[in-house]
Amino acid sequence: MVTRLILRSRWILNSRLPSISTEPLPVRAPGPTPALPPVEIATLHPFFKRNSSIGPNVSQLGISCHAWNQRYFSTSQALVDSPALVEVPLAQTGEGIAECELLKWFVEEGDHVEEFQPLCEVQSDKATIEITSRFEGKVQQILCVPGDIVKVGETLLKILINEMESTSEDDDSEASSDLQLSELEPETSLNNQQNLVAVLATPFVRHLAKQYDININDIKGSGKDGRVLKEDVLNYTNSKGIGKELPFKSHECAVNVDPFQERKTEFTASTQQWSYEDKVLPLRGFQRSMVKSMTVAAKVPHFYFMEEVKCNALVELKATLQKENTDQDVKHTFLPFLIKSLSMALNKYPLMNSSFSEESNEIILKGCHNIGVAMATPYGLVVPNIKKVQSQSIMEVTKELARLQQLAICNKLSTADITGGTITLSNIGSIGGKFGSPILNLPEAAIIAIGKIQKLPRFSDDDMVYPAYVTNVTIGADHRIVDGATVARFCNEWKLLIEKPELLLLHMR
Amino acid sequence: MIISKSRDVCLPIMNLIRTKGFSILQQLHMEERLLRASSDNWCIINNGTNQPNIVMGISGKPEELIEVELVLQDQVPVIRRFTGGGTVIVDDRTIFVTFICNKNAIPGLQPYPRPIMSWTGQLYKNAFEAYGNFQLCENDYAFGLRKFGGNAQSITKNRWIHHTSFLWDYDAKSMEYLRLPKRAPEYRLARNHSEFLCRMKDYLTSRSTFIERTISSLEDHFSVRITEFDCVIDASESSQVLTTKLLTNQELEKAYSTQHQSFQK
Repeated sequence: MVTRLILRSRWILNSRLPSISTEPLPVRAPGPTPALPPVEIATLHPFFKRNSSIGPNVSQLGISCHAWNQRYFSTSQALVDSPALVEVPLAQTGEGIAECELLKWFVEEGDHVEEFQPLCEVQSDKATIEITSRFEGKVQQILCVPGDIVKVGETLLKILINEMESTSEDDDSEASSDLQLSELEPETSLNNQQNLVAVLATPFVRHLAKQYDININDIKGSGKDGRVLKEDVLNYTNSKGIGKELPFKSHECAVNVDPFQERKTEFTASTQQWSYEDKVLPLRGFQRSMVKSMTVAAKVPHFYFMEEVKCNALVELKATLQKENTDQDVKHTFLPFLIKSLSMALNKYPLMNSSFSEESNEIILKGCHNIGVAMATPYGLVVPNIKKVQSQSIMEVTKELARLQQLAICNKLSTADITGGTITLSNIGSIGGKFGSPILNLPEAAIIAIGKIQKLPRFSDDDMVYPAYVTNVTIGADHRIVDGATVARFCNEWKLLIEKPELLLLHMR
Repeated sequence: MIISKSRDVCLPIMNLIRTKGFSILQQLHMEERLLRASSDNWCIINNGTNQPNIVMGISGKPEELIEVELVLQDQVPVIRRFTGGGTVIVDDRTIFVTFICNKNAIPGLQPYPRPIMSWTGQLYKNAFEAYGNFQLCENDYAFGLRKFGGNAQSITKNRWIHHTSFLWDYDAKSMEYLRLPKRAPEYRLARNHSEFLCRMKDYLTSRSTFIERTISSLEDHFSVRITEFDCVIDASESSQVLTTKLLTNQELEKAYSTQHQSFQK
């Protein structure tokens, strides 16, 4: 146990040391070696405190604080509890390049930066190069201005890392170190990785194991480098006879597991500890984007149209498809049908898939149906979109949706995934709620909130009461582009395709 | 046949756009959008642009790089593009070839200026085989020591662009708009434009030969798919702020006064 923990700490020490951005691999660049702050051995103490059973003699570790691997590690936070001011130098960007011209900054002093976030753009000879951050932290001081010629190794800016304290609960800090571990894994080039104690797994898989009340360390991983995959967890549960319906799987579409857990934890914590102090949450990541986009959207004249849609045929179709499904990796849900039928309706009403250009006072009818799906993730609200739905089959939409959901959970969506959307679906019903008044995802013309599917009594044409699966859809639209009549007709068309999915076959290409 | 088809399956896709006489400003706008907003690989080949344009690199200062008085007099549009590099004058005798790639598109290629320059150099070397002594001289494409292609790049977090303007032919008079740059490659050896440059038409039989051979060389690394131009990102999409800009008359006049003052000094 002691040996394994020591190896883990060695790996963490090697991987957590700040590294150079844009360093060519694997050749060490010529020129001055950038100055990097050494990590004091003393900073390992908090880590060992969490694992107090070993009580190691740190001086026996014999780890060099100044050694670091050539390969870049995508660590988001150093394993230090106290804040550290890190100097970020201009790294070597190519052979024989001794200096670059600083072209522009993407951040300002006081900004919070995420790992991999572009900091600035420099020019060397023929190339402009984006320099990205290796750290998550706050920009403390910018040392160069655009136009400056910066020598390789010269400090560009200083970033304060670990400004926020880690959580007090042991469970949470264990979870956060596990999260970091799983985030780090793809970037490490360790030879001794197989000696690591903690098992490698994505946050989603860890959560799945937690839901089954399994210790993830007990599971043998079949993924790369012993990574535990979703299948490993499911196979383990089957072998142990634990396999049961997971309680919280009623969501069809939106990724929203973790926020509930977080809120539950926060609620529990607040009832146990009576804290009267205000808490300041700095805006970061998706939250920050949300503030910006909602502020702009508030200026647009919205109007709302609501309709009730019967989903009986859809429920039956989904059940049939799931029954005939032979691919374990594919799970049929309602959303891909709703997305595809939305695209079919957009063919008839292209104005709903448009945007308004204030500069030129024109409406632009978008050629592609890039349908965005709002997702609530542990990191905030994000809206990735499925590209060109008009030329995708429902199966392709299903797979693409699953891919985006996975990336969203891990906060690994690319810029391409979240830009270029032309209309948005918000499946608020998967969390709860029947109606919504969604705010437009500019520059789109429309957004659709889908409420929870409820089983309610309805009258048939021959006045008989029957159980109907009913959902309420609320369409929010930009009144500069569309009027009520257009939205109503569009909604009728979409409703028809949902209530009679066999009509999709007529028009499907 | 089967082997080449199965190879295609393994190669990443390269979307190829071929145009002729397309506006260089619009081409640069499109390239900048594709670099920043697309996650696909793109190759753009524009066989000549519709009118003469001067195109400077991202940090280009007109007072240092062009004869502003002449440019203003002849109303030649001046563009500052989003990539680095030097200044060129382009027209319908210039052939533009651009590669926009994801950083992992080419196995083993590090996304840094020099490796990308070397990789593209090799691609063109294959294309120009038996058509003159092609070589990559520092950052230029040359036959012998005479430049016929200038390069520029931009490298972002996950992608890179490498674009080239090839001199199929040029008018010596056009070069008079350009000043001799302060920073010149060593192999230029203080030669003026006419001694430093050469024309591709003196080495190859036709433009289409060059274009076809380039595409053929590209197919060693990518599964090339012809893409219709109007399927690309909507040209009027305004959600992105672009760096590529056409210089205004005011900017040029300001550059002229700066140039005039320093000349008088």
